[in-house]
Amino acid sequence: MKLLLRLDSYLNKVEGSFLITFLGLMVVLAFLQVILRNVFSSGIMWADILLRHLVLWIGFLGAALATSRKRHINIDALTRFLPTKPRHAVGVLTDLFAAGICYLLFRSSITFVQNEIAEKTTIYADIPAWCGEIIIPIGFGLLVVHFVIRGVLSARELFSKGQAA
Amino acid sequence: MSVWLIVFVIVLLALLGAPLFTIIGAFALYGFSSSNTDLSATIIELYRIADSPPLIAIPLFTFAGYLLAESNSPKRFVDLARALFGWMPGGLAIVVLMTCAFFTAFTGASGVTIVALGGMLYPILLKERYPERFSLGLVTASGSIGLLFPPSLPIILYGLISAVSIDRLFVAGIIPGFILIGVLSVYSIRTGLVADVPRTEFSWKNVLTTARAAAWELPLPVIVIGGIYGGAFTATEAAAVTAFYVFIIEVFVYRDLKLTKDVPRVMIDSMLLVGAILAILGTAFGLTNYFIDQQVPQKLFEIVREHISSKVTFLLILNGFLLIVGMMMDIFSAIIVIVPLILPIAREFGVNPLHLGIIFLTNLEIGYLTPPVGLNLFLSSLRFEKSILHISRSVLIFILLELIALLLITYIPEFSLWLVGLLGTQ
Repeated sequence: MKLLLRLDSYLNKVEGSFLITFLGLMVVLAFLQVILRNVFSSGIMWADILLRHLVLWIGFLGAALATSRKRHINIDALTRFLPTKPRHAVGVLTDLFAAGICYLLFRSSITFVQNEIAEKTTIYADIPAWCGEIIIPIGFGLLVVHFVIRGVLSARELFSKGQAA
Repeated sequence: MSVWLIVFVIVLLALLGAPLFTIIGAFALYGFSSSNTDLSATIIELYRIADSPPLIAIPLFTFAGYLLAESNSPKRFVDLARALFGWMPGGLAIVVLMTCAFFTAFTGASGVTIVALGGMLYPILLKERYPERFSLGLVTASGSIGLLFPPSLPIILYGLISAVSIDRLFVAGIIPGFILIGVLSVYSIRTGLVADVPRTEFSWKNVLTTARAAAWELPLPVIVIGGIYGGAFTATEAAAVTAFYVFIIEVFVYRDLKLTKDVPRVMIDSMLLVGAILAILGTAFGLTNYFIDQQVPQKLFEIVREHISSKVTFLLILNGFLLIVGMMMDIFSAIIVIVPLILPIAREFGVNPLHLGIIFLTNLEIGYLTPPVGLNLFLSSLRFEKSILHISRSVLIFILLELIALLLITYIPEFSLWLVGLLGTQ
């Protein structure tokens, strides 16, 4: 149990550092590009492609972190009114469902990236497309791990509360 | 039979609170597998996130909005607004409306407004002897007011989904946004007169001091709106400039936020929202693609046309439908999932997509307040430690007023379209 919590917070720390780096890079690069374009009527050729991929990377890292912090958008109109114990039971169910869907998406993204490697697609000049796309399987993989951990933690909560009552 | 069972189970899981992106993902995966398409089709669609330049604006504006909300800028804006409007009857209430609208436009009604600004303004309202119920209703309603003003996230999302130019949507929302504020201001002035709240003397000195304090933040609306309409930037470029500018002034000029202590925290906090939105957007690209493959919008249109013939009835039913959607769903998923289905139908009825966007957002804005499950009611209930029932009662009059504004906005398209035509961005 402790190990799971530690794994979760370790992953969060790594995801957080990457997220901060990417967002920082994005803020600076996007601004630089505006200045270059408007003041010097030039611009960095690859900057737009990099910026668009940063959105994808930031999105997945943000989504992974949002899982541990329970910040995903959901309909909580009904569960809000449930007592603690049934709420944890429902939590286990929905977390495992979420983990399952993310696993299917993870497998589909592996196929997708394999196809792209086979077709030797490129994003810019000689840079192969899979370099930008690799975050999709990584991201869904992280989501699976976080949802499973969240589900196990909810289950433990359910169990311990059950003993106390 | 088994199709409906699967749909039922997925919907049930949605109602039980499974993250909406997994629900949308489940539908997309199920749809593709039942039409014998390889499941990697969902990922091909999701990868479109990296293919859409306007999307860059979302993390940048969100980061800027969170930086502003976490700094002392809300206080500086309130001070300035009080110096400007405090002399009017109901002046403080108008201050609440104006400042909340500004911050909601920048933070996308993610709850930041009620927590940060409402928490600061509610005690001041009470101290100045505004009635308790009015004050509570006002801060709750103000939590989503301003959604129609640039650079609000819901507008950007609608633009992305509907392929309507975001620059033009930014203009289209301005007059309807002021209509909403105007209707609520009239009621605030009345309340101020009836409750006979004390007013402050107008003084130029006060205006100057408070304006000087907020001097670095005042150009923000000009950067966003002026930059775009002056033709200097696109919405994405405005986002890049805003994010960089806000970062510099809050960290190095005002020094409200520490570079190593606060900035990383704000970065992560704001990107949680972005991650949550993009997860829904990415999976919804797949689902929408499946819907279009199956010609769902056309089929929906045929059903609608059998029962509705006039544009007026269509708009009325659309309003009713969207109010219910707004009650059940958050604004981001509602836009991402519902717009692709409604847009083609609305076009057949001759509704301009710009106008449709404004109708959409106004409805969803009201949905934030609608009992029993409007999000603002819960945020307010948590923040001010009042029961949901009490809060709901306090917002009823505000819902009614916003409904009046909604009817005006829906049936007089010129409010949304006139300025767009005038600025020649048509």
